[in-house]
Amino acid sequence: MGVVHGQEMVLNIGPQHPATHGVLRLQVKTDGEVISEITPYLGYLHRCFEKHCENVSYEQVIPFTDRCDYLASMTMNFGYVVAMEQLMDIKVNDRVQYIRVIMAELQRIASHLLATGVFGLDLGAFTPFLHMLRDRERIIDLFEMTCGARLLYNYMWVGGLSHDLPKGFVEETLRFLDYFEPKVDEFENLLGHNKIFVERTADIGIMPAEVAINYGVTGPNLRASGIKWDLRKDDPYSVYDRLDFEVPIGLGVKGTVGDSWDRFYVRLQEIRQSINIVRQAIDKLPKDGDVHQSMPKKIRPPKGSIYSRTESPRGDLGYYIESDGSDTPYRLKMRSPAFTALGVLNEIAGGWLMSDVLAILGSLDIVLGEIDR
Amino acid sequence: MSEDKQKLINDAVEKALSGDADAVNNIEDRVTRAKAKAALVKAKREQPKKEDSNDDASKSDEKEQPLSDNTVQKVSASLIAKFPKSLDGEQNSDWIQLKPESWFEIAKWLKDNPDFYFDSLQCNTGFDLGEGLLESRYNLHSMKHLHSIEIRIKVSVEKPDIPSVESIWRVADWFERETYDMFGINFIGHSDLRRILLPEDWEGWPLRKDYEEQETYHGIVVPKVKEGWE
Repeated sequence: MGVVHGQEMVLNIGPQHPATHGVLRLQVKTDGEVISEITPYLGYLHRCFEKHCENVSYEQVIPFTDRCDYLASMTMNFGYVVAMEQLMDIKVNDRVQYIRVIMAELQRIASHLLATGVFGLDLGAFTPFLHMLRDRERIIDLFEMTCGARLLYNYMWVGGLSHDLPKGFVEETLRFLDYFEPKVDEFENLLGHNKIFVERTADIGIMPAEVAINYGVTGPNLRASGIKWDLRKDDPYSVYDRLDFEVPIGLGVKGTVGDSWDRFYVRLQEIRQSINIVRQAIDKLPKDGDVHQSMPKKIRPPKGSIYSRTESPRGDLGYYIESDGSDTPYRLKMRSPAFTALGVLNEIAGGWLMSDVLAILGSLDIVLGEIDR
Repeated sequence: MSEDKQKLINDAVEKALSGDADAVNNIEDRVTRAKAKAALVKAKREQPKKEDSNDDASKSDEKEQPLSDNTVQKVSASLIAKFPKSLDGEQNSDWIQLKPESWFEIAKWLKDNPDFYFDSLQCNTGFDLGEGLLESRYNLHSMKHLHSIEIRIKVSVEKPDIPSVESIWRVADWFERETYDMFGINFIGHSDLRRILLPEDWEGWPLRKDYEEQETYHGIVVPKVKEGWE
């Protein structure tokens, strides 16, 4: 925080504040209502993830990854097992791959529902939030049916899955999708075209594409700035190259490309794409195949390192794993997408009003558990 | 190891490579069998690299790996031409090992050079190599050419200074702060090098292998017993 001039004031938002989506302190320098500088202070949720990983075996890391991004645990598991399987050169069968894709996409829907719902809530729209949580609940029920847990699943294991799909899962999922698909249009009308919401978000917190790339912003936030970049398409892992889907980008429908409304709308469209992917994956799901088939008895990767990226609901989720040939990772680094998304806040929120800061922060969809690790 | 055992292993590995997977599994002695398996894995890892140049099928198999190998060689070839003496020690095809001194200029060049155009810094990982050496690793990626490389820079614990690339890739600002926070690597020229995840008055560098927790923090005893972990 630099020099404070006359008329200027330093304010703290958080750490305990519902709009910070966790425990985050923003030190804000204001001139009247106008923000001149934001300094985020992180670390309130730091749980020494990387240090812990050096002390536990490779399979014991998976529950820790759950707890990093607790709103998208499935995709956190997914990223880790993809990295491990690349490091150990394990090929898993198609049934496992398709189940993983189904789970990851359902998780993406759940995560985006919460992200858009809470975004509305931050701006005072309470009703859409309740509608979205109601439908998110159905997805969580599906997960509970599969592995017994509602939030932290520990479902994807290196070389396989903890359980096969339970009886009736596919029918239940299809029933949910049939119910849910029209609801997305409802959300769009309820929140996206609401006049107050549009006034609060369109043309607010514009993130130009070069800024986004320079700050390492990824995922829906980057796509809202008009760049078609999705690891599921551009560097396909698992079986995403066999599935047909679109990558929605921000078009500036209500304002400028890369504004807060675009970030909201990209997420909403991604929900539609995810529904589409889940349907295709269910169609292609092989009937037989043991989900424990390729699981190694002892996870002991050869000496070497790997940097592997997957697309989590928040962006490029990278795992850097270095193995020294023993049972525990020598070094494990998680490259968190929300960490870089928060880094851009000062750049795009400067010059806006105090009330816009919450709109911009909400549109970035950060999860502090993943930022602080 | 006796010579005939070594010979047995070599034979078994050769057979396994030519398709007879049982050759290794049929070895009676457990220790020898394990050694043979290890040798087989090593041989297999070396093999595909030789085949890559003329076998397209194996290329698509390994995702981006062959592409990045290619890039690493291309980049290091032009690096030697442009910045002689900047490479550090032995090189290989997976990453580029640089000396810290001219890292800033090289980074600028990597980003601006139209052939490479590494506009995105994906990840910065700190690393404790042991024996008094720290390392900072950078995973670079180009959104335009869709290729990526890894850069490694080694420094000693006594003088852990690396030029900061914060002004080239803005994302490096927080990445470098995190690496500083966890490893105590000094990024020279960083505008705001503070701890990011830990409190500012925390002592020591937690992810170094010789790290020991401080006794108390603001009068609170820092717990060190790790019972109940398993």
